[in-house]
Amino acid sequence: MKKMITLNVNDREYDLVIPVNRTLTQVLRENLKLTGTKQGCGVGDCGSCTILMDGRPVNSCLVLAAEAEGHKIETIEGLSEEGQLHPLQQAFVEHGSIQCGFCSPGMILSAKALLDKNPSPGETEIREAISGNLCRCTGYQKIVDAIQSVAKKV
Amino acid sequence: MLLPKFDYHAPTTIDEACSMLGHYGAKAKILAGGTDLLVHMKKRLLSPEQIISLNKIEGLKEAFSQNGTGLVLGPLSTAAYLADSRLIQERISVLAQGASRLGSPLIRNRATVGGNLITARPASDLAPPLLVLSAKVTLKGPRGERTLPLEDFFLGPGQTAVQADEILTKILIPNIQGISAGAYIKLGTRKALEISLVNTACFLELAQDGSIKLARVALGAVAPIPLLTPSVSKILAGVKPKNMDDPVFREAARAAAQESKPITDHRGSADYRRYMVEILTWRTLKNAYSQLMEKV
Ligand SMILES: Cc1cc2nc3c(=O)[nH]c(=O)nc-3n(C[C@H](O)[C@H](O)[C@H](O)COP(=O)(O)OP(=O)(O)OC[C@H]3O[C@@H](n4cnc5c(N)ncnc54)[C@H](O)[C@@H]3O)c2cc1C
Ligand code: FES
Ligand code: FES
Repeated sequence: MKKMITLNVNDREYDLVIPVNRTLTQVLRENLKLTGTKQGCGVGDCGSCTILMDGRPVNSCLVLAAEAEGHKIETIEGLSEEGQLHPLQQAFVEHGSIQCGFCSPGMILSAKALLDKNPSPGETEIREAISGNLCRCTGYQKIVDAIQSVAKKV
Repeated sequence: MLLPKFDYHAPTTIDEACSMLGHYGAKAKILAGGTDLLVHMKKRLLSPEQIISLNKIEGLKEAFSQNGTGLVLGPLSTAAYLADSRLIQERISVLAQGASRLGSPLIRNRATVGGNLITARPASDLAPPLLVLSAKVTLKGPRGERTLPLEDFFLGPGQTAVQADEILTKILIPNIQGISAGAYIKLGTRKALEISLVNTACFLELAQDGSIKLARVALGAVAPIPLLTPSVSKILAGVKPKNMDDPVFREAARAAAQESKPITDHRGSADYRRYMVEILTWRTLKNAYSQLMEKV
């Protein structure tokens, strides 16, 4: 069964005809060629597929693309503006928080959702916010440092 | 991992969803947050021909207080919503605590309370809090609507009293009369994305004279279903503890451990789990009682 849907991704509308069993991860990567969103485990454990849906981070591997219609979707590609990296992206580069980079889009989006809600989180809140995003490389400390550097000091 | 093929429906009313489910019967599955269903489908444990999504139906995502009778939770209330809602935190904090420990922030933004109950995992983080709050569930199907206590709802791992053509439409939390407090503890081997080794919820309500009017303790991951422990309620009813260190709480905790039926698996041995039931029950009771002492 196929369905016509309109997706709002990074403030752009896309009209698509997709098989209804496609996940949002698949449609973002394969139909829209937005390959910043990664597919790791496919079952909600790793967070590499994290996107923002109406500002909230979710595992896009467990969302049917058809169910994303009517919601505002944000992916890692939507963060930079006019070639300028988002402060979080810049901080990840500067703090060496990216090694293989597979977790980075998801990490950055989880961090963005936190900072949008709470501009000056403490370390515990930062670690809690990224607790659904696994990183095999960095040991997390440099990621936490990067997020902390962007958080407003109170 | 790919999803098997299916047809997708997104009705806009409960009645429409019910009649679709009545029409397709066991060939169909309801979709809420999808954090259980889509995982099961990807692993090919389930391959429903029809998916009926509830997500286009308005008004199922929130909790509200119903004058006289108590709180009503919409079946699509997410764990994130339950954890952050002022209403839930103020009126039934034990549920907010359980919800805040479910999965990860990402999962909590999708996982719904209705899906959690229907999935009937023995280690559910929402069932023990709802059991101690004496929650009832309303089910709607082709033969009409029925409401049953949550303690009669779970039958075994993944098995509930819900028929294949019924939809869970409401969760009711009866009014709490006196001063009350609850507590929840989840024990795992790590802090996020963890299936409980043991979890415990408790709820205490005081009578006018300061004695315990009602005590309920429920346990997760130590029996085939989330388990209420009537012996704990019996030991504590009518008791007026001296303080939170009163030995009666340890006695009640020991009774909870005796009621649990844990198994040994890769997460922990049955003996360890039984002992943890005692310790965690003791801690939740002491915690709830000290909250009560601050309120009186
Ligand atoms: C990575 C990961 C971690 C997890 N961690 C935890 C955890 O720590 N604690 C925990 O308790 N759970 C955990 N879960 C399990 C899951 O997230 C929860 O059980 C969740 O609440 C299920 O809700 P859902 O809305 O996603 O259900 P869905 O997957 O949409 O549905 C689950 C089942 O319920 C049925 N259903 C849903 N709503 C209704 C309704 N209103 N009427 C009739 N049938 C309905 C569906 O047909 C399906 O059979 C985890 C899952 C994942 C993937
Ligand atoms: S790919 Fe979605 S959580 Fe791992
Ligand atoms: S940088 Fe490699 S997984 Fe995080």
